[in-house]
Amino acid sequence: MPGHRTKGFCASAVALALCVLAAGCGGSGESVGGGKAVLRYTWWGNPDRAERTEQAVALFEKQHPNVQVQTSFSGYDAYKQKLAVQATGGDAPDVMQLDYRQIDQYASGGVLLDLAKQKAVLRTSEIDSGLLATGRVDGTQYAIPQGRGTETVVYDVKTWKASGVPLPAQGWTWNDWAQAVRALKKKTGEPGATDPGQSEDAFEVWLRGQGKALYTKEGGLGFTAADLTRWWTFTDRLRREGAVSPAEQTTQLDGSVENTPLGRGKAVSDTNWDAPSSGYLAIIPTGIALAPMPSGSDGTPGQYFKPSMFLGVSAHTGHAEAAAQLVDFLLNDQDAAKILGATRGIPVNETIRRETAPLLKDFDKTVADYQASLEGTLKDPPQAPPSGDNALQTTFQRDYDQVSYERMTPREAAENYVTEAKAELRS
Amino acid sequence: MTTTAIPTGEKRATAPTTKRRTKRERQGAAWVFLSPWVLGASVLTLLPMAVSLYLSFTDYNLFDPPHWVGLRNYTQMFTEDPRYWRSVTTTLMYVVIAVPLQLALALVVALALKSMKRGKAFYRSAFYAPSLLGASMSIALVWRAVFNDGGTVDNLFGTGGWVNRPGWALLAVALLTVWQFGAPMVIFLAGLQQIPAELYEAAAVDGAGTWRQFLSVTVPMLSPVLFFNLVLQTIQAFQVFTPAFAVSAGKGGPADSTLVYTMYLYDRGFVASHMGYASAMAWVLLLVIGVVTAVLFRTSRSWVFYASEGDR
Repeated sequence: MPGHRTKGFCASAVALALCVLAAGCGGSGESVGGGKAVLRYTWWGNPDRAERTEQAVALFEKQHPNVQVQTSFSGYDAYKQKLAVQATGGDAPDVMQLDYRQIDQYASGGVLLDLAKQKAVLRTSEIDSGLLATGRVDGTQYAIPQGRGTETVVYDVKTWKASGVPLPAQGWTWNDWAQAVRALKKKTGEPGATDPGQSEDAFEVWLRGQGKALYTKEGGLGFTAADLTRWWTFTDRLRREGAVSPAEQTTQLDGSVENTPLGRGKAVSDTNWDAPSSGYLAIIPTGIALAPMPSGSDGTPGQYFKPSMFLGVSAHTGHAEAAAQLVDFLLNDQDAAKILGATRGIPVNETIRRETAPLLKDFDKTVADYQASLEGTLKDPPQAPPSGDNALQTTFQRDYDQVSYERMTPREAAENYVTEAKAELRS
Repeated sequence: MTTTAIPTGEKRATAPTTKRRTKRERQGAAWVFLSPWVLGASVLTLLPMAVSLYLSFTDYNLFDPPHWVGLRNYTQMFTEDPRYWRSVTTTLMYVVIAVPLQLALALVVALALKSMKRGKAFYRSAFYAPSLLGASMSIALVWRAVFNDGGTVDNLFGTGGWVNRPGWALLAVALLTVWQFGAPMVIFLAGLQQIPAELYEAAAVDGAGTWRQFLSVTVPMLSPVLFFNLVLQTIQAFQVFTPAFAVSAGKGGPADSTLVYTMYLYDRGFVASHMGYASAMAWVLLLVIGVVTAVLFRTSRSWVFYASEGDR
């Protein structure tokens, strides 16, 4: 009977069409690779960090033969965008590295798993309770800090020494710093530093040196357009003198060390976080050193110790236990700690920190010594920034572009930024 | 699949009662064959469009459930967002630079190809290749390298890198689009070959030189094709994203000079997670493209000449 055939044909055609459509949207997390649970683990960082992470992950796979870990990494700016897209599509990686700026938004958005559910395999008893609390949102532990970091002025030792300009010293002020970069320009012909005007982080250090803050306790803006005008006027003047990097260089900053003026050999120093500065070593084999960030004119320190990054698990993971095991391994495993060293900041596990401190070598030791030299001199860290800060970091850079390309005065750009920031924090 | 169904034509000859059923059957068959497209269009196009229209009236931030905010996104866009207007002017500048350049180049190359005796097929493919490659991210990244500090252009002309200069970066993006002139070129070529040779012969007899022939024969006869390309490329240019994204390394810099409309939309939606605002931007873009297209159609009456209209 032809009719029957037609019906069968109908059904199979529709089924086929549905299959084709469904193939476009596979589920997430339930991937199986040869009977193994497959975990996706992503982070931002430099090649040095990537190499060591791969080694640690290989060790984890050896200990857990039923788990396979797929890793991927990129520079911070690209990572931030990619993760936001994945997270909102319900396709966040099983284990993800997070910044202090993202915690609030991701936790309240239901992207992250409540880690208390995995207490059995994820130990936190060895982590300082104050530090551990930074990964809590509304009383729930959504993320675990993975390291402690602080900002630094990182510089090319050989060039700086050869120039005869006095080396940075503990307690130097922004004024001293400005004199130094001017002198470096005069002696070496290269700008003394990356223009810090584009960096919200550097601006925060400068603000705190005057006893102010980026954000108020209520999550509003903690500074005025006048404050920002002063900061941008200060950096813009140095840029015009050639003492810090020109606009063409500054605009290429994307959170990777390779694209900084220092990394390109176009400046003598840079402001960055301490751990990722290891990436400069591959580019400047003659050596780099870490100096404290400049403080306010009365000696008030602006920098602070902050959780350099967190580990979180996706709320939609298909392998919550395996993901938690990986987090535990990265934080609390002795062998993993030996491999990872201080590539993500100084380890948070107290026992491991004590035991590995003497074993640290090369740049890991440099970071540890640098942090030890600041111990007890810094003020408390601010609370986690409001979720709008994630976007404002980029806005800050863009508005400074208008200043460094001389399309706006520092005052115009600062007023623009404050308007945008207020709108962002309201929404 | 083999069927032994009797051809419908024969059925129709049997009895009028079966006629209606066969019509229904035939309709059924049509729907079956259409079903993949219908499903695709509704699930992947119409539904998302409806959702985005709804979201444009909310404060949806990708993480929390959306709240209705009425026209707030739209008013904010037009009154409180200087960067929005910057992205609008950047896009308009881009359209004005890229589209005429691209069409002119496509026409010139098509004319050259038409007059070629040998190797036409090869050159046609060769000129078309960039259009196939150009949409890809890899070429756009190569483009960035070419126009960067110490890149090819910098070394050849000593102009410094274009992508880090606000005045030049948008031109680098536009050139990437212009370079992909393959599609309009092929369409122009087809149009040129449609023009009857006797028109040129008649013009030549009347003493028209090459330039006069081009203006009086080629341009009017080609005007429908020109119009078609113009509309299509304009619509595409308004939606440019990949070249700008790659050339500016995803930032729309330097100093927002390559922050075209869709880049800013992406930034609002996925970087700042204001999906409601981004949806509103998308709908404004749709309306603007609609208006621009309508205007183009309106003006076309005065300059597009269809051969079927007879003598004017």
